[in-house]
Amino acid sequence: MSIVKLKATDGTEFEFDSANQAGSGGMKDVYFSKDKKQVVGWYRKKPDYNSMERLRNIVGVYRERIFQQEGGAYWEPLFCWPTHIIEDQGHIGIVMPTYKSHFFFQYGSKNDDFLSIKGKEKEGKWFASANHQQKHLDPRERGNWLSYFTTCIKIARSVGRLHMAGLAHSDLSYKNVLVDPAGGNACIIDIDTLVVPGRYPPDVVGTPDFIAPEVMATLKLPVGDPKKHLPRIETDRHALAVLVYMYLLYRHPLRGRKIHDADPQKDEELGMGEKALFIEHPTDSSNRSDPASVKPGFLPFADTSKIPYTVCGPYLKEVFDKAFITGLHSPDQRPTVQDMETALVKTVDLAQPCANPNCDQKWFVFDNSNKPRCPFCGTAFVGPLPVLNLYSSRGGGKFLPDNHRLMVYSNQYLYPWHVSRLVFPSARLTEAQRKPVGYFVFHGGKWLLVNQTLPGLKDVGTGEAILPGNRVELQNDQKLLLSPEEGGRLVHIQMANV
Amino acid sequence: MRRLPVFLLLDTSGSMFGEPIEQVKNGVQMLVSALRQDPYALETAFLSVITFDSNATEKVPLTELTAFQVPALTAQGATSLGDALTLVADVASKQLAKTTSTTKGDWKPMVFIMTDGAPTDDWKKGLGRFQQEKWGVVVGCAVNKGDATVLQQIAGEAVVRLDTSDHSAMAKFFKWVSASVSSNSKAVETAGKEVEGLDQLPPPPPEIKVVV
Repeated sequence: MSIVKLKATDGTEFEFDSANQAGSGGMKDVYFSKDKKQVVGWYRKKPDYNSMERLRNIVGVYRERIFQQEGGAYWEPLFCWPTHIIEDQGHIGIVMPTYKSHFFFQYGSKNDDFLSIKGKEKEGKWFASANHQQKHLDPRERGNWLSYFTTCIKIARSVGRLHMAGLAHSDLSYKNVLVDPAGGNACIIDIDTLVVPGRYPPDVVGTPDFIAPEVMATLKLPVGDPKKHLPRIETDRHALAVLVYMYLLYRHPLRGRKIHDADPQKDEELGMGEKALFIEHPTDSSNRSDPASVKPGFLPFADTSKIPYTVCGPYLKEVFDKAFITGLHSPDQRPTVQDMETALVKTVDLAQPCANPNCDQKWFVFDNSNKPRCPFCGTAFVGPLPVLNLYSSRGGGKFLPDNHRLMVYSNQYLYPWHVSRLVFPSARLTEAQRKPVGYFVFHGGKWLLVNQTLPGLKDVGTGEAILPGNRVELQNDQKLLLSPEEGGRLVHIQMANV
Repeated sequence: MRRLPVFLLLDTSGSMFGEPIEQVKNGVQMLVSALRQDPYALETAFLSVITFDSNATEKVPLTELTAFQVPALTAQGATSLGDALTLVADVASKQLAKTTSTTKGDWKPMVFIMTDGAPTDDWKKGLGRFQQEKWGVVVGCAVNKGDATVLQQIAGEAVVRLDTSDHSAMAKFFKWVSASVSSNSKAVETAGKEVEGLDQLPPPPPEIKVVV
């Protein structure tokens, strides 16, 4: 140990262990504090005047606006936000909280951790590659497909919080977002590159794989050229869509077989920039993935005909279409981060557990067919499968469809956001709104809804009230009113697979 | 999928005997471990080791990281840097996948050249052959009193110096090499430049001095 006492610019005192290096990134060398609750990252290159000004705002007013408001505590685990600036002998450092332990590999890789990654950071790339997933990672680190949705929802929500504050992250990538798919956690790091449109220009154009096409296409223009595109909120939208696509499908949405130039660097600039084309474009198939050119570890995910993006369900298909088809070269048409969050949240309600205990993904999204089967392992669903179509009251006894369905499985919960159109599962939910109000169970060959706390649950057909503590058997074409209040939902039940 | 070829050209002449060569061996081992722990490098990078003393030898052909074994290195003889440049160019033209009309070729190779002396052979002839191939980033590293001016003619401005009497310097160098191989954020000022140089790599640690 070699403890150094340092004072931050606001006077706070810290003790750092200059012998205990936590890591080193591209720009900073990072050391633990004595109690390991914080780290200090020293910049190798001294930040310029503009960057210093930005850092002061990041540790100051921007941080306060997010964390010191009501509900601010919700965001703490989702960001690794710098808290203090330290100047020492001409070096500039920033103090940040230490990453939570679930962001470090507990088991690491297969075969008794043959890659020696136990204890290392869970960099997102490990999980965004089919080969790493299937050949390298210990299965206990992988989580299941549903947990990737939870992880992605947290990423989308965090980026959305930045955008709401008028900030762009500007360098979203699997390096700058720590993920813990096994626990469904995510955390945005490297916040010192935040961009404030019009105020603090970006230092970086982004990380390969995530740079938006318009930025890539104008890379060669000199800084200051008005035609040069730089990172901003619209480029974050592109990067987020790429991240989500990669975490759910383990492949890159724009890396296909099309060749633009014999020179690999130029080919990359065209393929990710001016000529970027979705590998699953419905009418232009020239950039399809090339399953013959990859190692077996990348299959079946590298084969878009085996695992098309539609396995992610209708809501995400729409968002991906906007991101990679209509909005790919039209930044103003890209889906917002809220669009992405909403689509992910609604898709979770379409998830079904796979009946095959050896299925790698363990969950799949209901494909709206009468004979559902898992697209990953091919196992068919057995038994009746209730699908709840949600309608909500719009005054005057009128109910309109919400384009939202809830799939039922054993021990699936019913939540307040299913009961009322006016509640949406977001960061702003109250404690009471996070608690389930009922649950579903398959018992004696019948699907039952057990009412826990809904005061107004009613079978519309029979007029019978189902009071809290009681249950109702689900039947085809049955209509249940979940709440008689304004915005309250009515569910119409369809029995699939019968 | 494109491979990223990485060539290490290591001086194993007599003057490297003792501590320096041990530090290099240790450094290569560390580099391989660090790259295996990097999910981007593990998927993309292929590593080759070429040594040069009285002759240049391809100790390890381009090999994926999970199969890479650190070669035995011994220090003896002269400093045939020119031979090494010719050899790496021949190897690159034979082993690299070229882009065709239907398949994507390899990335342009990264080359790291380490030497502690001045070349004893006709290194300009080797340089001529070297310049016939296409390279990505080429970095020269002068160890101790190594001739930086020769390296500058090979690697341009991308020449660094380290001192083996600082026991952490060699390790820091290889750590920096591993960070350079990894995929990183691209700076606004340098992204898109045709000539790849030091400013597109992460800034080197203080133990590694950029030669100007």
